Amino acid sequence: MRKTFEISDRYIEPGHADELLYEPLGGDLTFRRTRRYEIEFKRGKSKLEAFIEKTLRDPISQELHEGEDPALDDFSFVLEYGMKPGALDLEKEAILTYYRGIEDPGFELKELSIRQRIYVFGGGSDKSDRFIRDICNYAIHNWSVIQG
Amino acid sequence: MEERPRAVLLKFPGTNCDEETARALEVVGFSTEIVPISALTTEALDGVKLVMLSGGFSYGDYVMSGRLARLVTEQKIDGALKEFRDNGGYLLGICNGFQILTQLGLLPEGSLVENTSGRFQCQWVKMKKQADCPFLTLLPDEFELPMAHAEGRLVTMTAEDAEKYRENGAAAVTYNEDVNGSFEHIAGLQDETGRVFGMMPHPERFLYREDHYDPDWENPAGSDEEKWGSGYYLFRSLYESVTSSN
Repeated sequence: MRKTFEISDRYIEPGHADELLYEPLGGDLTFRRTRRYEIEFKRGKSKLEAFIEKTLRDPISQELHEGEDPALDDFSFVLEYGMKPGALDLEKEAILTYYRGIEDPGFELKELSIRQRIYVFGGGSDKSDRFIRDICNYAIHNWSVIQG
Repeated sequence: MEERPRAVLLKFPGTNCDEETARALEVVGFSTEIVPISALTTEALDGVKLVMLSGGFSYGDYVMSGRLARLVTEQKIDGALKEFRDNGGYLLGICNGFQILTQLGLLPEGSLVENTSGRFQCQWVKMKKQADCPFLTLLPDEFELPMAHAEGRLVTMTAEDAEKYRENGAAAVTYNEDVNGSFEHIAGLQDETGRVFGMMPHPERFLYREDHYDPDWENPAGSDEEKWGSGYYLFRSLYESVTSSN
């Protein structure tokens, strides 16, 4: 079985997109970040959901959006990136180490993939290449762009 | 020889302020032991008066600051820290330690999220005592400490919760101005027992007068005390509270 969900922050206001770039674009582009998790698992769906709530989401400051659709609306584009297969993902390893330490988790975690999403708002969909260039590291990341 | 109260400093992968915090605790009278989380057992808390959670970036702040430290602590010793507090023990969390204490549910409900600036902020901040707190008794009403964090903005489920913390004394200390977007300018929280306290700024980095950026800084406590910085008085207050409650 597979489960996909995205975590967004309730209290973090959009930042100016120029903060992400080495060379400012100017204009009024803004951005927000989210994290997207894909989990392959066997049995114990409710236990897995409890694990997600306890481990990956902060009930006070974060919202959980389940499914494939982007969690936020009205974006110009979304840059989604994460570690290439085989590259060391320390966040993933930390979560897996914690999972392996649970005596009886009630589900079997087969695969975990963590992706960062940067939502860019305010036009500028043709500028996604600039964000890829300045944010992604070709040696360790792979990425995709979702147009709004 | 008088026996010093024992303090245990928990060290997670990424904790990096434990040595200087241990030094500060020893200066005021504690004996200290730094315990790696991998070696932590409930027995390690036997006879201990203070559990200290120092600053740093536990587990690289992955997922969110303090989250993995909380999970691993619960995995290692489950509810032992709550029991420790209920039996009269003190807990102090500084910076990342504050984040961990909030995650552990040992402080009034709140979360420490990214500063409104979106940046890591390293600066001196002026602060104000807002309530009686055993960790702050020897400090003047207003004092200065350095802070250094990216995720130090205290938020609560609703804005009214933060207002309530100001009214009921849970918000023991506030910033004098809006430095990171914290609700009600809250810099530190205490629990209802007063024995659990966490705050973002670093008292261990202003232990001595010469730690201050201004070489002419004068200790408001007078010339007899000129050697010390504001951080000393926080640790000294804690020491006096611990020893007087024995």
